[in-house]
Amino acid sequence: MRIVKQLMVIPGVIAAGEYAYRGDRFSYEGALTDEFARMASILCRANTLSVNMQAEILDSFSESCGCRPVQGWIVRGAQVSVCSVGNYFALIENRDELLNDVMTIMRAKVGDVEDDLLVNLYARLGGDTKEALY
Amino acid sequence: MNLEDMMELPGALAAFTFSDKGDLQSHVLREGTEMTPQVLDLLARSCVANMAIAGMEARGWEAVTGQGGFQPLQGFSVVGLEWSVVVNGNRGVVVRNRDADYEAAFNAVQAA
Repeated sequence: MRIVKQLMVIPGVIAAGEYAYRGDRFSYEGALTDEFARMASILCRANTLSVNMQAEILDSFSESCGCRPVQGWIVRGAQVSVCSVGNYFALIENRDELLNDVMTIMRAKVGDVEDDLLVNLYARLGGDTKEALY
Repeated sequence: MNLEDMMELPGALAAFTFSDKGDLQSHVLREGTEMTPQVLDLLARSCVANMAIAGMEARGWEAVTGQGGFQPLQGFSVVGLEWSVVVNGNRGVVVRNRDADYEAAFNAVQAA
């Protein structure tokens, strides 16, 4: 929760949270209800799983694609955006330079996401979760 | 903003346009980059899919929570290990992470 607290002191950050890659728990701070934070955690985990699957496909077409493992993703809305890095997410207002600042801070604090992310994301699928999907 | 102008963004490695179905239509690659047209073609398809999913999620989120501010979506970005792709509409740009200016990239793909 240390990273979440650091994000929440930034003006313009509406809410921030952390979820387990396995999908069995979440925590958050900010302007969300427990149920909306749970929904946001499920949504973020699903998107993270999806973009990692896509990166695995891209990676199979190129010797060193440079995309894998995926570090995060951003949805840019009209007035608000969602930033996700690793298993952390932040809901932010679209203020000048805030997106760049939040992404810089999240990348620095979360650190490089390693390949074990996929092992945990796929854990519920059963079988050999260390085996590549392609 | 045309593709050549998008290549002026900090750390730009590639700029491209694609059809509504995700077919790569035009592209510019930075000389020396390991990015290939084949990867861009796949990337364009994933971009269309991701924008559609994000649009569905935004619409659903606003309807369920009553919290506005997402629609209309202004774009989607996937942050890879070394580069990020930023897309909106039918155009996208790939930028090196260490030089990335996400706000400038989103603004660039915003301009028709």
